[in-house]
Amino acid sequence: MMTQDVSEISKVYMADESTNSIDTTPVVLLIDDSEFVHRLLDARLRSESISLIGEHDGRKGMERAASEMPALILLDLDMPVMDGFETLRSLKDDPRTRDIPVIVLSGMQSSQDKVAAFDLGAVDFVTKPFELTELRARVRSSLKMHALLQMLSQKAQIDGLSGLYNRSYFDDRLQEEYDRAIRHGNPLSMAMIDLDKFKQINDTYGHPAGDQVISGVAKIILQECRSVDIACRYGGEEFVLIMPETSPEQAYLLCERIRVRCEQVTWSDHPSRRVTLSVGINGLESGTTSSVLPAAIIEQADRNLYTAKQSGRNTVIATDTQGNRVQVAKAG
Amino acid sequence: MTTPDPEAYSLDINDPDDAELIEYFLGELPDRVDSLNTAVNNADIEELGRLSHQLKGAAPGFGFDKIGSVAGEIEGQIRAMGDSKSDIDSIRADVDALVALCQSYISTNPFAS
Repeated sequence: MMTQDVSEISKVYMADESTNSIDTTPVVLLIDDSEFVHRLLDARLRSESISLIGEHDGRKGMERAASEMPALILLDLDMPVMDGFETLRSLKDDPRTRDIPVIVLSGMQSSQDKVAAFDLGAVDFVTKPFELTELRARVRSSLKMHALLQMLSQKAQIDGLSGLYNRSYFDDRLQEEYDRAIRHGNPLSMAMIDLDKFKQINDTYGHPAGDQVISGVAKIILQECRSVDIACRYGGEEFVLIMPETSPEQAYLLCERIRVRCEQVTWSDHPSRRVTLSVGINGLESGTTSSVLPAAIIEQADRNLYTAKQSGRNTVIATDTQGNRVQVAKAG
Repeated sequence: MTTPDPEAYSLDINDPDDAELIEYFLGELPDRVDSLNTAVNNADIEELGRLSHQLKGAAPGFGFDKIGSVAGEIEGQIRAMGDSKSDIDSIRADVDALVALCQSYISTNPFAS
C-alpha cells in the first residue's frame, strides 16, 4: 500500500504559499497629463525597486489601475477633461481599485485641495516641483504600509492551524460565488468535509497529535484543490470547499481523491491509526437559474455528510440541487 | 557642440541621470516657446495660465529653476486676475522675459547637433 509522510506534503504547501508572497517588485501607476512628469519620475524613481507604469488621463488611468492592480497610484490633480479629484473619486468607488493607496501630486499648495484629497481617500500629498528625496521616501512609506495592510487582511482571513481560509472568509465568499454562478449559468459545488472519529485521536494521542492531523489534512485538501477553489476550515475538524465552475460530479471526483489520499497517510504520532474522512457534496448543475439559496446548498451538503457518516464513514456522497444522487464508480 | 556651462542648470550636467533630464527638457523647450508665443499673440490668457503652470511644476525637476520661478510668477499674476482674464498687457512683459530666458537656453543647448 502506498503511504505518504506529512512532512513531504508540507514542502509542497510551502512552495504554494510563496506564490502569494508580497516580496515581488511592486507596480506603481503614474497618472499625469504632463509628459514632463512621466520623464522626471521615470528617471528619478529608477533607483527604487519598483516597476513604474503610466497613463496620461484619468479615464485610462482608472482602467489601467483595474487591470494591473498596482501597489500604489501617483495621481496628478490638475488634468484636463477628468481631473484628479474626479479620478480619485472613481478609483475609490470601484471595489477593484478601492484599496490601492493613492498619493496625490499637485502644483497647488492650498490646504483646501489637500484636505479635499485626503477626504476622498488619498493617503498622501506631494507638491510640484518635487522634492525628490521626499517623494521617494513617501513612495517607499506608502508601499510598505500597503504591503503590511495586505498581509494583515490576509492573516485575518486565514485559519492559523490549518492555513486554510477561516469561517468568516467563507461566509463572505459564499454569496459572491453563488451570485457569479447564477449570473453566468455556471455550475457551482460545495463540499462539507468531516474527519471520522476525530475526538478519539485527541483523546488517545493528545491534542498536538490532533493538530497535526488537522494541518496535514488541510495540506492534502490544498494540494487536490485547483487555484479557483476556496478551501476553508469550517470549525473544529470540519472543512468546507467552495468549487466554482464545478458540477457535483466533478466535485465528487475531486473529493474522492482527497478521501483516498487521506486514508493512505501514515501519521508519525500514531502510525497504526489511520485517519479517514467523510464528505457531503451538493451543487448547482450548469444553467441553473433556480431560487435555491446558498444556505440551502450548504444544508443539503451537510445532510449528505450525515448520510455518509451513517453509511459507514470514509465515504463521499454528492447530490445536485434536484436531489439526484451523483453516481460515480469509486476509484480503486 | 557648445561647451556646457555647469552653472546654467540646477542639476549636475556631468551626472548621466541629470544630463538625460536636462537634454530631454531642452529638446521640448522650442515647442513650449512656440506655444507661449501663440498664446500671447491670441491674447489667450487661459492657455498662458496652463503653460506657465506646467512649466512651474516641471522645469525645476529638470534643472531649470529659473524658468520655473519666472513661470510661477506669471501663473500667480494670472490667478490674481480672477475670472476677468482680459488684461494681457499686464503680463506681456513677463511672458516675453520667460520666452527670452527659454531662447537663451535653447541657443546654448549643449546637446544640439
